[in-house]
Amino acid sequence: MSKLTILGRGIYAIWLREIMRSFRDRGQLIGGVSRPIIWLLILGIGLNPYFRGEIYGEVRFVIPFTYLQFLFPAVIVLNIMYTSILFAVSMIWDREFGFLREVLVSPLPKWAILFGKILGGSTVATMHGFLVLILARFADVTLGWDQVAWALVLMFLLSFGLTSFGVILAARVRSFEGFGVFSNTIILPLYFLSSSVFPLDPSLTRTQTAATYPEWLAMLVQINPITYAVDALRGALIGFNQFDPWIGPSIIGAGAVLFFFIALVDFKRQ
Amino acid sequence: MVAENKGIEPGGGIVLDGISHAYSGRKALDNVSLTVPRGESMALLGPNGAGKSTLLNILCGLIRPDAGRAIVAGVDVSKHSSEARQNIGVVFQDDSLDDRLSAWENLEFHGLVYGMDKPSRARRIDEVLALVELSEWAENPVRTFSGGMKRRLEIARALMHEPRILILDEPTVGLDAQTRAKIWSYLNQQRRERDLSVFVTTHYIEEAESCEAICVIDHGKVQVQGPPADLKARYGTSLIRCLPRSPEVRQKLLEKYPEAQRLSGDRLGIVVRDQAMIDAFLSEFGSSLKEILIDEPSLETVFLAITGREMRERDEVNSKARGKRNKRI
Ligand SMILES: Nc1ncnc2c1ncn2[C@@H]1O[C@H](COP(=O)(O)OP(=O)(O)OP(=O)(O)O)[C@@H](O)[C@H]1O
Ligand SMILES: [Mg+2]
Repeated sequence: MSKLTILGRGIYAIWLREIMRSFRDRGQLIGGVSRPIIWLLILGIGLNPYFRGEIYGEVRFVIPFTYLQFLFPAVIVLNIMYTSILFAVSMIWDREFGFLREVLVSPLPKWAILFGKILGGSTVATMHGFLVLILARFADVTLGWDQVAWALVLMFLLSFGLTSFGVILAARVRSFEGFGVFSNTIILPLYFLSSSVFPLDPSLTRTQTAATYPEWLAMLVQINPITYAVDALRGALIGFNQFDPWIGPSIIGAGAVLFFFIALVDFKRQ
Repeated sequence: MVAENKGIEPGGGIVLDGISHAYSGRKALDNVSLTVPRGESMALLGPNGAGKSTLLNILCGLIRPDAGRAIVAGVDVSKHSSEARQNIGVVFQDDSLDDRLSAWENLEFHGLVYGMDKPSRARRIDEVLALVELSEWAENPVRTFSGGMKRRLEIARALMHEPRILILDEPTVGLDAQTRAKIWSYLNQQRRERDLSVFVTTHYIEEAESCEAICVIDHGKVQVQGPPADLKARYGTSLIRCLPRSPEVRQKLLEKYPEAQRLSGDRLGIVVRDQAMIDAFLSEFGSSLKEILIDEPSLETVFLAITGREMRERDEVNSKARGKRNKRI
């Protein structure tokens, strides 16, 4: 029996456990379904008419999309953020209830254990992102298969990076309650500052942007990595990019690699 | 399995050689050496905080010792941890099952993580569930199991990948006598059939008594080790355990027998040298005691003589010690 087969079985087992768990956890499923509906159908449809400045006679943003279409990719990112980052609760659970030791005394190397866990978490998060994708027609977004495939790749990499990020946080905040509060206080600000619900207009120059928005806001949006994730998905799904089209995917890819390695260093040290 | 280690333990049991370990500067284990030959069992006894769990964690590779070597089934644990772990089955002091999964799913997970193929997983799951008499419960979520059933399932799981060494940290703590007896009958059956070496910590005398060897550790050091009969012959003493009627009597007793050990619940323990001493004791204090017990030499008195503490104390402190015991790695 080759080493690789053994390794594969181990990673598969750890991955499968996460998938099974997510299907049995009603709360998580309900959150995964209701969140996009609230954001997309209620907020999106509600604000749709106000999105175009010309309604009030002054054209500010010339973007050839409805607000709903514009919001759609961002809601995918939001759903992925919640599921990925909160996945780390499962890491805390394993440590708290002793299950982690069962895995740690197995012949599996530590990297494989962590990889299996994070792979499981990112698969679930990607599925929750996919739930939003199913709503595309309600947001007037028509998709070709190639677009869906590329979006799924981006969504998976984003999930992988954010899941690793959650695991890094969980290694520092070790209690359930602490983690719950902490993660909620960072998810929404990250999301709102990602040019998700309001755009940083690409047709404006730096100075014009600064005139439209306060400088600190523009700055925060620009240094927030989620901004680029949202941009990458907009590129994939509605063909609109505020930045160079390659920046978003690169940042998503780099984040996945970087955060996984930090999480691994943490995991090996504990 | 690994050539360089062949000479050390041809029998393939457990060898600990000069193990020392400190937690942030505080010594938990100090130069511990011991051997469990293949197919034999050793009970590790010691008061709370003696370093038992630390030693077991080192054996299964969860903690890397500061010094010394641990060799399991001929494999050095810190050099080839993956091979070594394949040979070890572990039952931890605290639960480590996923109680949201069914018994079958917990075992299936274990089999996969230990790299077993599908047919052998299916065969072993049936075998070990039958061994611990949980076959009918295979599909039930572990959440619905009683403490004893969980323990049995953990043992089944530890045996599932056919390890050559079984490491158990208080496998029967908190279980009723009947369940404990059952668990030991599974373990002994496996030992006979599979030539399994068993290393177990316990504070139940009967359980220690049935092992081939006993090792008493305290303050991180091996105090004594050997077969139970040898230890009893060497260290076992008769012991008077009594509860004085009043503080004054207690004071008088302590003056007369300054070496008396202070036991839990205000009781005193006095080592018996000969029959004459018992007679003298009874004629002087016989009428001013609430309670008296004269122990024959037993493992319990060995333990008391060596550590100055009663084994049974542990039952009482267990509840207090919960917080500490739930500490995780
Ligand atoms: N993770 C840890 N960090 C710091 N100190 C620890 C840690 N684990 C154990 N200790 C200390 O090391 C000593 C030995 O602990 P250990 O858990 O090995 O004892 P034990 O013999 O298993 O006790 P018990 O009978 O309560 O299970 C104790 O003084 C304990 O406080
Ligand atoms: Mg212990």
